[in-house]
Parts: sequence; structure tokens; C-alpha cells
Amino acid sequence: MKHASLKGCSLGLMVAAQIGAASPALAHHSFAMYEPTKTLTFKGTVKAFQWTNPHVVVWVLVQPEGGGAAEEWSFETTSPGVLTRAGWTRQSIKAGDRVSVTFSPLRDGSHGGGLNSLTLLDTGQKLVPSFGKEQPGLK
Amino acid sequence: MRYSSQTMGKKIARSALMAATVTVCASMAALPAAAADQELINAAPTAQDWQALAKLPDWSGVWTPVISDQVAQEKSNRPPWKPEIAKQIDHMYAEEHAGRPFPIIDHCFPTGMPSWMLITHNAFEILFTPGRVTILGEGDGNRLRRIYTDGRPHPPDPDPSFHGHSIGHWEGDVLVVDTVALLPQVYLAVNEAVGVPNNGDMHIVERLHVQGPDTLLDDLEITSNKLLSQPWRTTRKYYRQRAQKYDIAEGVCTQGSFTEAVDKNGNATFAPIKFHNGVPVGSESK
Repeated sequence: MKHASLKGCSLGLMVAAQIGAASPALAHHSFAMYEPTKTLTFKGTVKAFQWTNPHVVVWVLVQPEGGGAAEEWSFETTSPGVLTRAGWTRQSIKAGDRVSVTFSPLRDGSHGGGLNSLTLLDTGQKLVPSFGKEQPGLK
Repeated sequence: MRYSSQTMGKKIARSALMAATVTVCASMAALPAAAADQELINAAPTAQDWQALAKLPDWSGVWTPVISDQVAQEKSNRPPWKPEIAKQIDHMYAEEHAGRPFPIIDHCFPTGMPSWMLITHNAFEILFTPGRVTILGEGDGNRLRRIYTDGRPHPPDPDPSFHGHSIGHWEGDVLVVDTVALLPQVYLAVNEAVGVPNNGDMHIVERLHVQGPDTLLDDLEITSNKLLSQPWRTTRKYYRQRAQKYDIAEGVCTQGSFTEAVDKNGNATFAPIKFHNGVPVGSESK
């Protein structure tokens, strides 16, 4: 059950209808397994930053509210090429970074989501995956 | 001979090759035709061939697909699906809307043609060399299309492939590309979750041309007697980027199925990621 599992490990959990917000990129396959009408925000610690094609993945350890072992969540986003153009680098996020992640959760309740944005809590820097504007001659 | 004589490119090479081929064929009459075909060569380009490239239109830079236009056309220009195919398509739309997208692009197979031009979200670049136009894309293991512009016809029985066999010619500043021999499993797709395999007889004709300073248009005509009641015509749009941050990045699809690890000897290695319904759910294989 999706909501039960989400509730059990939420820190600053927020559910909000947010249709049409910066949608996660669709570099390789459909992202329809993520629920675009829901946006959640979790805080946690980065376990690994996987800078790979076709999709970059941020692995985050989230401490369940009621205690117990930290749970691993995967947050998927677009490709290194697209993210580079949005200002990211493979060094943007490091293992051990404390982060706040805003995402569209998997519809089946598994521990994963399509990344909407990530904020590095120590610096306040917000990273947003984006294809940028659609026009020629982008800077 | 697999190719007609005008396809061989260079006159001197051609006449020498013809003479050699006749001699060789005469002495190898008992061998199958494939053995004789191995004698076909791609002649070395001349200085004149390289200079001729300068007369072609400038298609340099990196081209980014206009995704909003793809989405708009998906709604406004539905392929003329045959009734039995339309049922499959409508079911896939329903599944997508229910959050169960069908994996059109799966197992890190190439997206293939015509999906690359129709539904891609990734950039590509176009290279001109004598007798060839090459399109190099980002994603799917560095996808590429080879389009032969040296006048050769399609081979009589080409091996089917994800991108098919493509021949092209220039009509002024328009590159006309004819593609056949697509694997039957390759999709005719309208988005990343909706499409059907072409099942073996798809034929694609494209007219690629630049409009204004920086917009590339691909006018496609797709014929598929197994899927469509009539040929489907559609156009896709791409914008030119010159900023170096748009340079094509290596994209090895399978790499995304692994995470960085260190083996027992301290060597850098890859460890498989656990997936569930196509989604990465565990950074360790155990």
C-alpha cells in the first residue's frame, strides 16, 4: 500500500497536486510509472550519485519516522548530457551529502520516484533537471 | 554484381574493378554470388569529392528535438492505423494513463527507425563525408544512422536491422533518404509507451531540409501495409545548438544498469543494480 509505506518513512512529507510542474525528463523510456499528480519531499543522506545513461539516479538513505534501519530510495532523472546543459556535473552531488528531494512517487508504492528537484541542505543549492527552453542557439 | 555500375563512384576504379570482377567471376563461377560480392569496394575519395562537400548546406552543430511539437503532433496527426492495430494502440494508451506504460524502448535495444526521428528526446549531429551522410545520436548506446549517398541502390536482400538500410540523394538543399530492411520487431511508435512492431514491411522516405537559419525539418512518409491503411505523413522539427555544452555526450545504455563498485582486489568495477518493473530499486545486487 503506497500511502502506508510512504507515511512510515516520511520526513517533511508533503503531498500536493502539481500537474504540469517541471516534469521529469523522458530520455529513455516512459516515466508514466511515476505519479505526476503527486509531489513528495523527503530529507535524507545520499548513498550514491549514479551519473549514467540513459538515466541518472540519486540513491538516498531515508530514516523512517518510527526508527529502524534507514531505507534506500532511488530517484531517477534524465541523462548526463541533458543535465550538463542544465548546469549539473558528475560532482554536483556526493555520497554523504544531506539532501531534500522533491519527487513524483512510483505508483506501486516501491521506494523510488521521478526527481523533480534536489536541494543540498549544507549549501542551499537547488538542482533542477531540465531540457531548457525549446529554441535554437541556446547559451 | 550486386550494385549497378554507376553506383561504384569513381570511374577509374570502376573500370578496373569491372575488369577484375569479370576475371574473378569467370574463374569462380562455381562459388555462390556472395563470394563475388566481396569484390565490391568503396573507392577512396578524391580531393574533388572532398571539395564537393563544401557545396552542401551547412548542417553543422547539434540538433535538439522540439519535444513540445512531438507531443502536439501525437494528438493532431494520428497514424492511419488499421482497425485491428488501432485496438492495440488504444489499449496501450489506456495502460499508459493507468501508470503501466508499455516499454517500447527496453533492454537497451536501439530506439531504431523511425522512432529516433519521431519520438526521441535526445540530441544528434549530422556529418557529411564523400558518399555518406552519418547521423550520430546521444543515448541508446550512441545510436547512429549510415545513409549512403554514393548512388548505390539497396542491396537485393539486406540483413534487417534497427535502423534499416538507408540510401540518400540530394535534391537541391533537400536530402531525400529511403530506408528499408528494418527488423520486424522495430516499433512504429507515437510515444515511449505506445506503438506496435512493424512486423516486416515498413518503408520510410524522408526529406530533410533546413528552414530559416537554425531549424531542421524531417518530412517523413511511412508505408506499412501491415499496420497502416495508407502511408502516414508527418514532420518533425529540431533546433540547432552551437554552445559547446550541447556537444554530444557518450551514452552507453547498459551502463545505467550498473553502479560503480570496487572488487576484492581493489579494482574499479561495475555492480548490477536491482530493477523492478523497469525502475532501479536497489543499488546493490544482493
